[in-house]
Amino acid sequence: MFVHIDGPWSPLLGRLALSEIPYNNPILIGTFAFAALLAVVLVGLVTYLGLWRTIWRDWLTSVDHKKIGIMYILIGLVMLFRGFMDAVMMRAQQAMAVGPHSAGYLDSPHGYLTPYHFDQIYTAHGTIMILFAATPLLVGIMNILVPLQIGARDMAYPYLNAVSLWLTAAGAALVMASLFIGDFAHAGWFGIVPVMELPYSPGVGVDYWMWAFQLSAVGTTLGGINLLATIVKMRAPGMTWGRLPIFTWASLSANLISLSTFPVVTVALALLALDRYFGTHFYTAGLGGNLMLYNDLFWIWGHPEVYFVILPAFGMISEIVPTFSEKPLFGYLGMVLASLGIAGVSWGVWLHHFFTMAASPAVNAFFSITTMAVGIPTGVKVFNWAFTMFRGRLRFELPMMWASAALFFLLVGGLTGMMNAFATNDYMVHNSVFVVAHFHMMLLLIVYAIFGGVNYWFPKVFGFRLEQRFGKMFFWLFTAGTAVVFIPMFTLGFMGMTRRLAYVAFPQWGPLLDIEVVGIAIYVLSAVFLVAQLYVSFRDRAKNRAGLDAWETSRSLEWMTHSPVPFYNFAVTPEVHARDERAWRVARGVDTVRPERYEDIHMPRNTAIPLWLGVLSFGLAFGLVWRMWWLVEVCAVAIIALVVIRSFDHDTDYTIAAKEIERMERAIRDVPSGRPAADDVIGGVPAFRQGV
Amino acid sequence: MSATTSGTLDAKKSPMWSSGHGHDVISTKTLGFWLYLLGDAMMFTALFAAYAVLGHAFNAAGGPWIRTVAHAGVAFRETAWLFASVLAYGFAMMALKKGNRGGVLLWITAALLIALGFLAVDGHEVMALFRMGAVPERSGFLSAFFTLVLYHGLHVVVGIAWMLVMLVQVASAGLTEKVVYRLLNLRLFWHFQAVMWVFMFTFLYLRGAIV
Amino acid sequence: MTHGTDNAWEHPEVQLAGGGYVAAFVVGLALMGLSFWMVRGHMFAPAGLAIAISAVAAVAALVQCVLLLHMNVSRTQVWQTVALVLFIPLFVLTIGLTSWMFHGLYRRTMMMPAAHAGAPATQAQAGGA
Repeated sequence: MFVHIDGPWSPLLGRLALSEIPYNNPILIGTFAFAALLAVVLVGLVTYLGLWRTIWRDWLTSVDHKKIGIMYILIGLVMLFRGFMDAVMMRAQQAMAVGPHSAGYLDSPHGYLTPYHFDQIYTAHGTIMILFAATPLLVGIMNILVPLQIGARDMAYPYLNAVSLWLTAAGAALVMASLFIGDFAHAGWFGIVPVMELPYSPGVGVDYWMWAFQLSAVGTTLGGINLLATIVKMRAPGMTWGRLPIFTWASLSANLISLSTFPVVTVALALLALDRYFGTHFYTAGLGGNLMLYNDLFWIWGHPEVYFVILPAFGMISEIVPTFSEKPLFGYLGMVLASLGIAGVSWGVWLHHFFTMAASPAVNAFFSITTMAVGIPTGVKVFNWAFTMFRGRLRFELPMMWASAALFFLLVGGLTGMMNAFATNDYMVHNSVFVVAHFHMMLLLIVYAIFGGVNYWFPKVFGFRLEQRFGKMFFWLFTAGTAVVFIPMFTLGFMGMTRRLAYVAFPQWGPLLDIEVVGIAIYVLSAVFLVAQLYVSFRDRAKNRAGLDAWETSRSLEWMTHSPVPFYNFAVTPEVHARDERAWRVARGVDTVRPERYEDIHMPRNTAIPLWLGVLSFGLAFGLVWRMWWLVEVCAVAIIALVVIRSFDHDTDYTIAAKEIERMERAIRDVPSGRPAADDVIGGVPAFRQGV
Repeated sequence: MSATTSGTLDAKKSPMWSSGHGHDVISTKTLGFWLYLLGDAMMFTALFAAYAVLGHAFNAAGGPWIRTVAHAGVAFRETAWLFASVLAYGFAMMALKKGNRGGVLLWITAALLIALGFLAVDGHEVMALFRMGAVPERSGFLSAFFTLVLYHGLHVVVGIAWMLVMLVQVASAGLTEKVVYRLLNLRLFWHFQAVMWVFMFTFLYLRGAIV
Repeated sequence: MTHGTDNAWEHPEVQLAGGGYVAAFVVGLALMGLSFWMVRGHMFAPAGLAIAISAVAAVAALVQCVLLLHMNVSRTQVWQTVALVLFIPLFVLTIGLTSWMFHGLYRRTMMMPAAHAGAPATQAQAGGA
């Protein structure tokens, strides 16, 4: 039944053998040594501080949407670091391997990376940055904010939320495992067929890529369902659609995209898996297969995915700009319609990724026009932000700096995107680094919005503000790095440089590639200031302690509960009266967190099952990659058994008595200002303690 | 003016905190499951799109094509089995409406047995095709055809397994809130796959008799 | 809002169940039978038949959505219906645009002698058989 693969195979280890460990590659050994050292230090630190119990009880088994959000963000940051290191390696290779006389090191004819290794690095960079950095970071932020913004206690399905998290974590772990066991795909982040077919890629790289992708896709789909149901069903009384905070609207639009498109990529990859494991002919070049089918299905997901990550970024900018302009958002309705419009149009543009692939002129014209139409709702957003700032009392604090820089990158990326939207022009720049520079502008706008959002909501989640001086230095250096890397990249695109070159044949491109390396060095330098910012913020957390509203002019519901937010979010569910409820209450002098009376709260109980499901999914995928069939069978049966067993568990919730809530609320309020809420390292005690 | 409410609302008098607010667990669960089914429908859509691309005669690569592999008569018998199972599950829902636990058990058992009848016809048909050499790895067309057929069959298998679990839960726990929302979700799932079957029957099996 | 009763089965969504299921069974099977009969008897030319059975399938799916899946705008069902209405254009777009693109692609790039009923061999531009 299964396709036969030449080469050694054993029942116990499948295709895995000692020779699959890249112990002869000094780069990977160095990376492994670094990772192992880091792991030892972390394990030692946690053991020394005696935190194992806390980590297990309060984090790994948690179903609290805020903690799950924080864990998503941690995964995103770790993977962002990994993806960044890939970028550094690529820049170095392209700067070294210029011209026929350039030196070669480590078995490579030019530069220090062999072409096969280089291919894996750009594949990993793209896959990681989109699926395992940007997506978890944004899903994490949505996880934390959406329930708070609509006045809910938790997500609609807290247990499913944890399952989504651990599926994403399993996918990320699989990508990391490929570094040290076997290798990774070499067919680009979106996969090129028929290169990914078994005859051309008999190794395990494509399998690693495929299953990691699949795990993350399933996790994100389930997360999307959860957020949609939360927004529809869990809103506090009075939180009508017309009063929904704009970030929540953006999340709603984004998750409509994720729910409708991730299943398509699941199918695209499942069909690839059938080709690779069962020998079907979906994407093969012969026997009636059609390799363009893969491109079609993949990009039906691929382009909407771009809007899936950009809409929450727009939502964050829309929250930050009014707060620091001290004005309500200009054109709320326009903003809502623009978000939904972007989500809608995203469904009709995918073919612009393969304009050059022989579709008929009418088809190209159609997709060209729909692609340009994306500019309309995006333009509405840009003007709304501009009019929000117009005659506002602008305060350029850190979140506002990141948000306004994001606008700049949106303009650069958006306008170059409009250039690519012309099918005729796309024939010129297709596959050049001009396109690469364009979509890096768009993704950097998301990174800017994320840094803005993190600076903005950090005090809400942790109870203290981030330090500003190092933060601003980080901002300026990061921005300088962006300019120095990507302006030369746009130029090289116009000079005709194509993507994915392990060897640069034209020496005249060398100087610009050298400048890009300078830019990368500035990025590295900026990261030092980020670390400094985090360290100083943590050291001075007592001094930077935030009240309910860390910025004094915030407007939405999440600023109406304590910072950090208690695990039950709101002691009593608020009644909503206005679009900017916090601003409405402040204007009327009723902004107290002390309700008339307390009530019992019903909360979901912690459970380790989602974590085990994640571990088993990892095992399942790892078994499939290496064709260890026993592992696949054991994990599949265990997953089904766990799901059924969980369905027989009747004790999944518990109730906290009103008196207990009142006691905890008083404990938070009675802390004198200027001191952390408790000696807890993070901030406030109730924030991260959960009844069991 | 940021607020959508009128300025006349007296903030000092209107309630700031809601009391006795609870949300409807059953409706929340069914909405989420319906959203999941829409995602599943999108997977069917993608498979149908793949079939639309790979369904031409030249995609059969000289092997068996739709005329040979799709038997409309057998498919119509399968349709009758499937719709009858859906109807039986509907009767289980009508028993649930009256809180009739025995009726729920009886009709779910009936739905399950009829679904096994469908699987028997479906499985027999697929095996016969395999024996005549029409296997998924023969051509792009057969890959797309069998993937759709087996994906729908997988739904029936999952539905049957789910019915077994629900029989145990209804018998052991009774008609509690959790059991009721799961019965409702299973209803959605079971009726949804029948809607998908309408498209399978029309565009796979009947189309085979036309071209 | 809670539904104010202790019996979970008195929830309004359970109470949606009713005789519609029998109607759905009868109508659904009759419509499928109609399609089957039209195809068996070759009632129209192939193109006409394709349109006819597609229309019947659309009606059957609609009937089932209303009677079996309870798609309506009542308080308990409205969001289910809204979600479905939002998704239907996406189903159509996915299959429609994909078919459109591949129709052109096949005609323009692939060699398909006689096998392809829709396009005469002379229109295959990328070379002879």
